[in-house]
Amino acid sequence: MQTPTIAGSAQPRLARGVRLQTDPQTGNSVLLFPEGVLELNETSMEILARCDGQTVSEIIQSLAEEYDIDPKTLAADVREALADLQQRKLIELT
Amino acid sequence: MIAPRPYALLAEITYRCPLHCPYCSNPTQVRNDQELTANEWTRVIREAAALGVLQIGFSGGEPLARRDLAELVRAAREANLYTNLITSGIGLDDDRVGALHDAGLDSVQLSFQSDETGLADEIAGARAHQRKLNVAAKIRAEGIPLSLNFVIHRRNIDRLPQLIELAETLGAERVELANVQFYGWAFLNRAALLPTREQVVRAREIATAAKARLAGRIDIFYVLPDYYETWPKPCLNGWGQRYLTVNPIGDVLPCPTASSAIPDLRFENVRGRALDWIWRQSESFNRFRGTEWMPEPCRSCPQREIDFGGCRCQAALLTGNAATTDPVCTLSPNRSVVDEVLRDLNSSSDHPPDWTYRINPNGIQ
Ligand code: SF4
Ligand code: SF4
Repeated sequence: MQTPTIAGSAQPRLARGVRLQTDPQTGNSVLLFPEGVLELNETSMEILARCDGQTVSEIIQSLAEEYDIDPKTLAADVREALADLQQRKLIELT
Repeated sequence: MIAPRPYALLAEITYRCPLHCPYCSNPTQVRNDQELTANEWTRVIREAAALGVLQIGFSGGEPLARRDLAELVRAAREANLYTNLITSGIGLDDDRVGALHDAGLDSVQLSFQSDETGLADEIAGARAHQRKLNVAAKIRAEGIPLSLNFVIHRRNIDRLPQLIELAETLGAERVELANVQFYGWAFLNRAALLPTREQVVRAREIATAAKARLAGRIDIFYVLPDYYETWPKPCLNGWGQRYLTVNPIGDVLPCPTASSAIPDLRFENVRGRALDWIWRQSESFNRFRGTEWMPEPCRSCPQREIDFGGCRCQAALLTGNAATTDPVCTLSPNRSVVDEVLRDLNSSSDHPPDWTYRINPNGIQ
């Protein structure tokens, strides 16, 4: 699969009308939006928690530090997850 | 079967409505009881959140017919629920948009009858279309995410391109083109509302093309007209699995149309029982939960965990027995009931009959 191209300088944010919160039943993070609920895996959760004005490069850097992984290894996964969320209109890139 | 946790509550806060759509899924007859008060709704909302519900849809009738709607939205937000208003927009053309937004309303689903005033007002049985256009603009100006909903039927299905265009013009994020489902008033008016096969084929092509064209800008959901399908819809993701409905007088329903479609089912009321008990223990929620209740051909069908045997209300309305395979299913021994309806309609060149407009429930206050 081709790696989706999202610029490192892009700033992902939750799309309007989308809420990130904890599901009290499971303790996991969920995205809430008009049609439903998306239960997040750990990777998406960690990425979304950083969609607060940070750039894609900064998000990758911060995750790499937190998990002690080479940012290069991480970059493709993060971009793919962001592209998927953007496709579903759950985040916006500015 | 052990009850799973529900995700969404449909709060039908009133059956009153200033419009008279002939396809309304509301029951054609309702009990003459008092609507739940705001305090009672607040309790229901808290109990639902404790059960696991994450989302609430305020619906009706026309939910704006209740002046205390903002109070209910606030209660839902306090319980951390995602709040969606499902409305015709009538009653929102004053300062209420701001009040609802302040109360924490997350999104609005606004329904339209058509794109042209004349036809739209004829379908609604009221002068509403122009007011709805204003309301859409107000919602946009307030910055609340907007979805449009069109119920599609014989009289407006040929205008699909124009309906989609209206959604573009109004800046909607999502548009639902939902072919009418035959419950409540729509079941009564089926002969007037069911589109012809030709119309359905064309509409499907238009919807598919528009979906591709607008991808990334507007999400288009096209809800199929199930009589023309081969397999039934996976109704509710299974009975008593993810959703519950509380109606204006506090009856708790596994499905919003169950109270009129399945007369032998007895529903519990929030005035008499805790929501948790109703969800887990009541006969109405357990009757069709899981696959135990299923007759053949569903019982041994590989699809049974995918479509759950289709819709219980449709089975009840078309066969008189809710515990049968949805007659839309090509494997149902009752599929001929649906085929006959389609044959009658598609072989006749007569004009469709007039419809009966929905009237407001009397007695409900
Ligand atoms: S379908 Fe029409 S009549 Fe029924 S509640 Fe909605 S707007 Fe009112
Ligand atoms: S037989 Fe029952 S389970 Fe199988 S496809 Fe038809 S409705 Fe679904």
